[in-house]
Amino acid sequence: MTRWERRHLRNGLLFASPWIAGFVLFALYPLLMSIYYSFTAYNVVQPPVWVGLDNYRELFFEDPLFWKSLYNTLYFTAFSVPLSLIFSITLALLLNQKVAGISVFRTVFFLPSIVPVVASAVLWLWVLNPDSGLINSALRGWVGIEGPGWLADARWSKPSLILMSLWSVGGAMVIFLAGLADVPQTLYEVAELDGAGPVNKFLHVTLPMLTPTILFNMVMGLIMAFQYFTQVYVMTGGLGTPVDSTMFYALYLYRSSFYYLRMGYASAMAWMLFVVILVATLGVLYSSRKWVFYHGD
Amino acid sequence: MGVALIFYVVWPDRTGTEAERQALHEGRVIITYWDRHSGHEHTERVKLIQEFNRSQNKVYVRAVPIGYNALMEKTLTSIAGGAPPDILSMDGGIMAQLAAHGLFLPLDDFVASVPALDATLFFPYVWDMVSFRGRVWAIPTTTDTYCLVWNKAAFREAGLDPDRPPGNWAEFMDYIARLTVRDSRGAIERMGFLPWIPWDQSFMWGVLFGGEWYNETTGRSEAGSDPHIIASFRWQQSFTIAPGATEQSPHAMRPERIESFSRGIGDYMSANNPFYSGRVAMISEGEWQVAFIPKYAPGLDWGVAPLPQPPGVEPLAFGPTIVADVIPATARNPEAAKMFLRWFYSPRGNGASSPAADYNEAIRNIPPRINEACEPRFIEHPRFSVFVRQLLERRVVSYPTTPVTQYLTDQIVRQRERVTFRLATPEEAAQLVEENVNRALARARALMERRRP
Repeated sequence: MTRWERRHLRNGLLFASPWIAGFVLFALYPLLMSIYYSFTAYNVVQPPVWVGLDNYRELFFEDPLFWKSLYNTLYFTAFSVPLSLIFSITLALLLNQKVAGISVFRTVFFLPSIVPVVASAVLWLWVLNPDSGLINSALRGWVGIEGPGWLADARWSKPSLILMSLWSVGGAMVIFLAGLADVPQTLYEVAELDGAGPVNKFLHVTLPMLTPTILFNMVMGLIMAFQYFTQVYVMTGGLGTPVDSTMFYALYLYRSSFYYLRMGYASAMAWMLFVVILVATLGVLYSSRKWVFYHGD
Repeated sequence: MGVALIFYVVWPDRTGTEAERQALHEGRVIITYWDRHSGHEHTERVKLIQEFNRSQNKVYVRAVPIGYNALMEKTLTSIAGGAPPDILSMDGGIMAQLAAHGLFLPLDDFVASVPALDATLFFPYVWDMVSFRGRVWAIPTTTDTYCLVWNKAAFREAGLDPDRPPGNWAEFMDYIARLTVRDSRGAIERMGFLPWIPWDQSFMWGVLFGGEWYNETTGRSEAGSDPHIIASFRWQQSFTIAPGATEQSPHAMRPERIESFSRGIGDYMSANNPFYSGRVAMISEGEWQVAFIPKYAPGLDWGVAPLPQPPGVEPLAFGPTIVADVIPATARNPEAAKMFLRWFYSPRGNGASSPAADYNEAIRNIPPRINEACEPRFIEHPRFSVFVRQLLERRVVSYPTTPVTQYLTDQIVRQRERVTFRLATPEEAAQLVEENVNRALARARALMERRRP
């Protein structure tokens, strides 16, 4: 290394040092400590006590609520991620039309995703109120049927939350809009010459060209869905009611740590969630070889 | 420039209120008080704290309304983060659990030095809640109890004598049925009574049925084999019907319908509270309603009586909780904190009662010291006295002091839900409470054993 290179390295590191310090202190250190804590009984205030694999053994073999919360989370993810993708692509296609005032529509559909999560959760509590909520009042008044209990009914509580998650797909929608703008017009022209109609153009041009964007949104959606917390914490008072039907993984993790003072157990749960997310993400990335097309391909 | 600006803004002379800056200039010790009470209750507390601040020139108390939500998280993070307040007010149940984990300063010596804090002055159940494992951990500020509170207008509509509460258990059930009103669709317009409104009270009902969730002698839960506990679950189950069954009595209906109703009701501290708005005719409520109802439902005509109990059970009172002051073990100014507590709990110099008693009067809670609870302003108030007398005249049962009390109450609520949603029989549910709680207890005790030096 020449003197010049050394100086550049030093300056580079110096400029990056706030980030490096922040990362080491606030991300790497807690991350590594949480691995250690997952093998201990720890209540934040007293020194941790080493318990070996006890936390993991309890998770797998003694705690039905762990499995229940995992099931709830997988259920939510399995429905909310694909539905959100379909919903946001559809919206992006509609908002990609050349009509007057399209930017107004785009803003309107994006607005829900900048509403603070807690505020929108409270709003949805009211919309989904079984007795006087907007949806059930509409069903009663216009359709003449009695709506379900939504969040009050163990069979409907998760679908309610999935429905709610579709309301804030604005972020994904904007990314799809950018993806749509990226599709070369020439491909459409070629398809038209070959006699393709709108459906075929969508299936054979738009969709394949959007697959990198779909992959990105799918991975982000998966990670977000597995960590689903705030809405359900606000809407059920942190209890996961009724009958544990909305006891999501992150919520149970939170209860274990702050209500039962079991940070070690919660750390073990966090690492299990990490494994689940990692497997799901790697699965999606691996499969993407088969269905994602990049421009150069 | 930016750094200078930050220093300018956060420099001690520029933070806090005018009064705090003044106190700092006077060389006073400033201590922070986290108030578990919020809203008008906090306002009343602040008035008394200001009186203390004016009464001397050594200590200045800064009160922060923390509220009940996420109290545990806030407390834990402040203590773990090394920046706890000097005094914390909190609920007895949470207090006991955190004290068991070594978070608070033992107050034995302090209590012994203040005549007004003699153990014999307090309701015994209250003192039991703050003193365990041979030490005193908190100073009780307020206590509560539940009674049956009823809407007299609803009684009149149902053709019942508005001044006569149900005299026994059978009458209670009959009143519930008669007071329940459903519309043509079957939806509930008014519910006679629902055990989990305003919140789940399964712990209390198990006790009022004569049962015991936790056996203090054996240090275990024996709920699974306690017929009274099982009976209390069965009674709560009688408010719902099994899938496919027909609705036999007016108040028993599909679990979803009843859950919809209990979810659809308005905010507790508002005019939409289901009792204030007339959607629930009878409710199990605490003495604070003496202050709440004139505030949120000024026109409401209501009565109060001890909660009915099934036949053959000794009349009991349930003391759901206390609010108590603790000093975190890592507090910066424990001596200044003690000075404030000494003032707050001792009678004022001129023979007037303690600020603590005045606080109870202002927010309509029951003073935990018997002599104060017997002052005319409490014991002679027509409605409030019903609550106070219940604590004076009956055996009082409260939550047990265990390292897993929060888990125990969570388990009870969870299993009650399974019972009323018809996913478990009362026997299975009680058995599960027992098994889960005993497992958690064994784990917590093993850990404490290992921590012992």
